[in-house]
Amino acid sequence: MAIDERLAAERAGKQRQASFELALEATAGDGGARGAGAALQRASLWRDALQRFRANRAAVIAAIAFLVLLAFVIFVPWLSHEDPYAVDFSQAYQNPSWAHPFGTDEFGRDLFVRVALGGRVSIAIGFAATFAIMGVGITYGSISGFIGGKLDNGMMRFLDALYGLPYLPFAILTLAIFGTVNFWTMVVALTIASWFTTARVMRGQIITLKENDYVRAAHAVGARWYRVLFRHLLPNTLGVIIIFVFLELPGVVLGEAFLSFIGLGINPPKASWGTLAQDGYGAYQTHPYLIVIPSLMIAWLILSAFFVADGLRDALDPRAREF
Amino acid sequence: MALLEVDDLRTYFPTREGEVHAVDGVSFKLEERKTLGIVGESGCGKSVTALSIMGLIQTPGRVVSGSVHFDGKELTNLKRREIEDIRGLEIGMIFQDPMTSLNPTLTIGTQITETLRRHLDLSRKEARKRAVDLLEEVHIPNASRRLDDYPHRYSGGMRQRVMIAMAISCNPKLLIADEPTTALDVTVQAGVLDLLEELRQEHAMAMIIITHNMGVVAETADDIAVMYAGQIVEQATALDLFDRPEHPYTEALLGALPKLDEPDARNARLASIPGRPPDLLSPPEACRFAPRCKYAGTDDCATVPPELREIRSGHWVRSAHPASERAREPVAVS
Repeated sequence: MAIDERLAAERAGKQRQASFELALEATAGDGGARGAGAALQRASLWRDALQRFRANRAAVIAAIAFLVLLAFVIFVPWLSHEDPYAVDFSQAYQNPSWAHPFGTDEFGRDLFVRVALGGRVSIAIGFAATFAIMGVGITYGSISGFIGGKLDNGMMRFLDALYGLPYLPFAILTLAIFGTVNFWTMVVALTIASWFTTARVMRGQIITLKENDYVRAAHAVGARWYRVLFRHLLPNTLGVIIIFVFLELPGVVLGEAFLSFIGLGINPPKASWGTLAQDGYGAYQTHPYLIVIPSLMIAWLILSAFFVADGLRDALDPRAREF
Repeated sequence: MALLEVDDLRTYFPTREGEVHAVDGVSFKLEERKTLGIVGESGCGKSVTALSIMGLIQTPGRVVSGSVHFDGKELTNLKRREIEDIRGLEIGMIFQDPMTSLNPTLTIGTQITETLRRHLDLSRKEARKRAVDLLEEVHIPNASRRLDDYPHRYSGGMRQRVMIAMAISCNPKLLIADEPTTALDVTVQAGVLDLLEELRQEHAMAMIIITHNMGVVAETADDIAVMYAGQIVEQATALDLFDRPEHPYTEALLGALPKLDEPDARNARLASIPGRPPDLLSPPEACRFAPRCKYAGTDDCATVPPELREIRSGHWVRSAHPASERAREPVAVS
């Protein structure tokens, strides 16, 4: 009897503690701004954003998936003993096994290492093109939005005209003009084909921010234009820029994959996910893994980047969450 | 020669419907160390007047004509770089809403020192020291520690004090305060006004206070200009204006103040001015107050525009029916 009572009391106590901890967590979550302020934290804006991001389960999982993918493409070629370029016809078309987790291709090359290497190329092109897009888009958009007036009008109409051109033929045309496909021409082609949206969004941001009282106040103390632009406007667009990096990245990777798939990819024996999928296409009826695995990698990257972008948007602009 | 002479200033904003005559022929003078109060209701052109003086009118709006003569310079003819050198150095300005007038991503210290270093040849260290002095001057406790805080850790009243510190940081000769207390709690309004007056005396500044609150100008201003629909309708010394208002609009404004000291104040209705301010796209041709004026209609005042005239020494009024010339009370009270 006494033992039962003690057990019951203990259970009740545990429950109470659990609910107490839950309550603590809840207050820490919703009172982010106040809590951060009280703790004399400096960059509370970013701290709050991080807290909100952490609370978003899908975004956290996506971020982890993204990092795992990065780790895969970075470390596998280092750690593997397989030579990704060694041709060995005796090993051709091996199904996935312990020796070759992703199987081998028609030349007997280990697909596990080749997918990792291809991922390096795809992701490197993705990041390089994304940063180029950011550079061009931010510059164009800020000039247009900051100066405004007739120049803004002209620059935006030019952008509208470019929007009218279809995206991929535009990139194909650029590659055709270059005559060769390598890392840098691919980056340039993808940048030329897809910087418009960033430019437009940046222009919108700058125009909105320009109306802020503190911008007027800066003018009222005699700030020069470059100070207003680089001190008061651009830093405040950082959140949007970060979001856009993760929104543009999947699009660019997909564009690269598409171009590679239709034969405008990096030259063999190097490969990207797109060219790997293209290689696998020839034998997809007998060895479907050759096309499925690179495609899944592309999907993995795109999905994780999108979810990270989504989480970042919620975290950096909590007011937008209601939509 | 007065410190600031504004003559027939006109600032128009083109819109799809036509040109908005936000400021339509404003003239006034401001002597050194004096305070001018500009009062009027929302949209009468008070703020646009101030922004025009500062050269801060945003396109497509523009100063169409008139002159702003400040300390030997004609501000309306200056190049952008030249007027930027004057802003903050010789003319300081405070805005209405302190909550949004500071950049949330920069510390208070950064924002003050950048203003200082923009105009004065100071090292980082000197500027920081001067910033601490300034914060102390506007009575912010623990100034040196609070310098590294971001604006969100300051209250509204304190932010307005920071704005004031920035505005006076380079010892301007003129300080323009555009509704400096409107966005603040009533309890801190008086403190900010006292601070402005204290600083004006210490720094020997002239000041323009723009407000819709008669109480604010009553305490601080030497002269008061009443604006209506883009024009000054009455200008006089503060005492004379409150004691003997001439323009029907000024009378109505003063009449609209709640009178708490009268016996039946609790049950009395608050007086208001019937009608609404005119559309500045197509203002009344003659007297702009005529449609709301209870003295209008008995003569040609609705067809002949009244001039701003000096009804007695130092007291200017733009009306065909100033109080001291009225023979009788109006026939019909609206």
